[in-house]
Amino acid sequence: MSRSLNWTIVTSLVLVLSADAAGVAQGQAIGPGFELERAGRYADAASVYFTTVRGDPTNLPALLGLERTLFVLNRLPELLPLVQNARARLPESVALRSLELRVYAGLNQLDSLETIARRWAAAAPQSEQPYREWGQALADHRMWDEARRALLTGRRTLGGNGGETLAIELAQLEQRAGNWEASAAEWGRAVTRSPDVGPTAASQLVDAPAAVHDQVARVLTAPGASARARRLGAEVLLTWGRPTEAWAAMQSTLGDSETPDALRRFADLAGALTTTEGHRVRGLALTRWADLVPWQQASRARAEAVRELLEAGDKVAARRVLEGLTTDSAAPAEAHAIAEAALLQVLVADGQLDVAQERLTRATAITADDLAALRLALSQARVARGELDRAETVLGEDSSVAVVAQRGWIALYRGNLKAAMDDFRLAGPYATDRAAATERTAMMAMLQRIPQQSSPDLGAALLTLARGDSVAASNALRRAAAKLPEQGGRLEVLLLAGQLAAQKGGEHDQTATALFDEVVRAGGEGAAPAAAELEWARLLVRRGQNAEAIPHLEHLILTYPNSAFVPEARRVLERAKGAIPKS
Amino acid sequence: MSGLAVSARWLDFQPPNRLTAVPSLLIPMDDVQTDHLKAYGLTYRAIQAGLKAEWLLNYRGGSFLIPDLDALRRDAALNGIRTEPVDSAMTAVRGEIEANNMDAVPLEKASKVAVYAPPNAAPWDDAVTMALQYAGISFTKIWDSEVVNGSLKDFDWLHLHHEDFTGQYSKFFLIYSGMSWLAEMVQRNTDMARRLGFATVPDLKKAVARGIHGYVENGGFLFAMCTATETIDLALAAEKVDIAATFADGTPIDPDADTKLDWAKSFAFTGAHLENNPLIASFSDIDGHQVNSGARRQPLGAFKLFNFSAKIDPVPTMLVQNHRQVIPDFYGLTTSFTRTHLKPGATILADEEGAPWVKYVHGDLGKGTWTFFGGHDPEDPQHQIGDPPTDLSLHPHSPGYRLILNNVLFPAAKKKELKT
Repeated sequence: MSRSLNWTIVTSLVLVLSADAAGVAQGQAIGPGFELERAGRYADAASVYFTTVRGDPTNLPALLGLERTLFVLNRLPELLPLVQNARARLPESVALRSLELRVYAGLNQLDSLETIARRWAAAAPQSEQPYREWGQALADHRMWDEARRALLTGRRTLGGNGGETLAIELAQLEQRAGNWEASAAEWGRAVTRSPDVGPTAASQLVDAPAAVHDQVARVLTAPGASARARRLGAEVLLTWGRPTEAWAAMQSTLGDSETPDALRRFADLAGALTTTEGHRVRGLALTRWADLVPWQQASRARAEAVRELLEAGDKVAARRVLEGLTTDSAAPAEAHAIAEAALLQVLVADGQLDVAQERLTRATAITADDLAALRLALSQARVARGELDRAETVLGEDSSVAVVAQRGWIALYRGNLKAAMDDFRLAGPYATDRAAATERTAMMAMLQRIPQQSSPDLGAALLTLARGDSVAASNALRRAAAKLPEQGGRLEVLLLAGQLAAQKGGEHDQTATALFDEVVRAGGEGAAPAAAELEWARLLVRRGQNAEAIPHLEHLILTYPNSAFVPEARRVLERAKGAIPKS
Repeated sequence: MSGLAVSARWLDFQPPNRLTAVPSLLIPMDDVQTDHLKAYGLTYRAIQAGLKAEWLLNYRGGSFLIPDLDALRRDAALNGIRTEPVDSAMTAVRGEIEANNMDAVPLEKASKVAVYAPPNAAPWDDAVTMALQYAGISFTKIWDSEVVNGSLKDFDWLHLHHEDFTGQYSKFFLIYSGMSWLAEMVQRNTDMARRLGFATVPDLKKAVARGIHGYVENGGFLFAMCTATETIDLALAAEKVDIAATFADGTPIDPDADTKLDWAKSFAFTGAHLENNPLIASFSDIDGHQVNSGARRQPLGAFKLFNFSAKIDPVPTMLVQNHRQVIPDFYGLTTSFTRTHLKPGATILADEEGAPWVKYVHGDLGKGTWTFFGGHDPEDPQHQIGDPPTDLSLHPHSPGYRLILNNVLFPAAKKKELKT
């Protein structure tokens, strides 16, 4: 249903609902007609409404019923004399005036429509209503140019407010006509006149097609635009997923009395974004907001800002906020604890592990959960530096499943495969987040193929991987694999090396292909050959070589019909053939 | 209307050239089947390759029998289709078929399939196209110019989906005004009407509807879903009446259009009343559910497939082969068909018990047949414009999609009447 129709119906309902007792009686008289109309029996419904109007010429519900039904029946001309008669009896009735305009528009009698609209305007010289109804009646019949002329006539005639009169109506009209840039300009005027329109304006403008986003943003955030218009632009940009531009627009508006509310709304909207820039911008908005509100709200906002800024990787900005928070003697203990935890997080992320560890031993206010999380983060950071002993020490006596899993990784990196397996089993499949649990399970699947209880080479290769050097790790894994029996883990380790090379892409694709080829040729009982063939096919699909991927997928499906990789291979095969659309 | 209404003249009841002389593969279509939809594709490809197949009606969900060849085994394995080698066991199977409401129908010629769709239509806009693509059944897309120019004769089977043959752009013109996809649809249709020498889009669509009607009369198989079912009949009945709103052809609907409709020209429906309000995306009271008509909208239930006599009514039996007899309903711009507006000769294949509408109907016209299936996408019951495409690999057992694919295979069973 179009917005204009909604508007008409809402207007009708409001009129009906706001009627007095006599109006209720009027409404009851047409009850059967309304039921017939609901059943789709428009001609019968119209008869009921006609009968009612004959007895009560100004019965508005019946006249509105006739407007609905006669339009459907192509008999609108029959309504005109009834409406004219009713309006003559009740010349002050806005509803009847509006109805009369709509009927003229429905009959395409534009000259008469203009005449009676102007007559109404002359009778109510300060009112926007005649122009609004005149424009709306034309817009409902998709006569955009005529509707625009009617509304602009009203703006010129009524003047005032810097050309913002009838801005909402013009904004909606331009939007319906597909003129998004003009619509944005009118919404800018509307919001300048009344800030309450802001959320509606934003919700309308976010629907603009992507092709006109830049133009819409330019109109709203131009240097000459009002602060409210620029805030509207910021909100729209934020919703379109352009947080940096949104923040630039928002920053240019800060300073007036509406700033705190605007910043809070901006921060709330930014909370919907999960991108790095989204987090950063939210952190910056919260920081600015915290400067403007009482300390109870400010300390929490700053702590939240720190988390957002850390999430965005902006450690400098996060530390700056923390400095303000930790030195705020007026802040409550809870805020200090949050700040201390956040500061430790910053220190760990910043690589100041010794300082962080020293502060951690003195931290007393931090909650137990935060303390455990920080110890784990510190241990992981030590691992990333290759400091396995210190990584283990920092975990202390903690026996939580997350820490047990971390001990398993440390054992693995030392080459103690048995201890790693034991710890991973003890931690179970659900410890920590899903990605980490999956990674652990995949590692267990590889380890269980290896008969040896220790392999320092493999541990060192995996530590290299944990430290972020996947190219060196891939090479180290190949060397470690060479020392393992072919059906005793070698293929699984080569598969991992191949996956790392494939993830790097580019020149490493050749290495990945060679490794997958080696695993596939070796065959055997384990899962590695089927997995390698699937990875090989995925690599080819990624490179656009679908025709070459298809034989690999078919070979996998036919050779390993019971493999767990077959369902996924079938899906990749379907996609390679183009039988499944990309969502 | 159900039961014995369809004659068996489509099938030749000579003793079939059965496959038991050579080892065969049974493609079970009951709950053990691992991919019901792809099973149709495997059978289709076997027939397409010139091999003989059989459709074992009502046996294990409507199973298929194909020759036991390496190529077909490979095809089945690649597509995840369960097959069972059979040889001597077929004796017992044939005995069971003889003794029960079952039959074995030879499938001999893969039908040439055409899908009527605008050139820019995405494959996932249409359940049939998706089903064909997923099952691996080849098809050709055609549109107005091919129909008007007489190219339909090159195809055995024609599918229509959500085309609005009244030429009113599914009555979205006012509701979705300003949307780029609608603007493109209007432009494309207007250009085509002009190119083919028609004054308006409604005039073009009426001519296309007549072309399709002629195609069926001459032996074509028509399968239509969603809006195409209702609007093609309205377009045919309104050959000499203006039923298009002003926005579509520049003139208002004939005020007496209802009484001027000539239902003798339609496929399935009669005596319907038009929905004249251009702001309601409904065409007439043929559709029982009226999804876009506010208070008249009816909730979704479930529809039940009729049980026909396989040996006497093989065609409707083929069309309802399934491993489920009751299937959840799904909306479309036309979801269902009001019983009172069905022509007496139509065979009801599925309905909702106690409801005033049916879901799936079939009938003969001249030398051909038509089958209408209400709704848009069997696995997307509330389908909305802009919804992501249905991924059929997540619905390999869809009973609703099976009904679509039954329609693709059943022309293969026709022996004498097949056009060449």
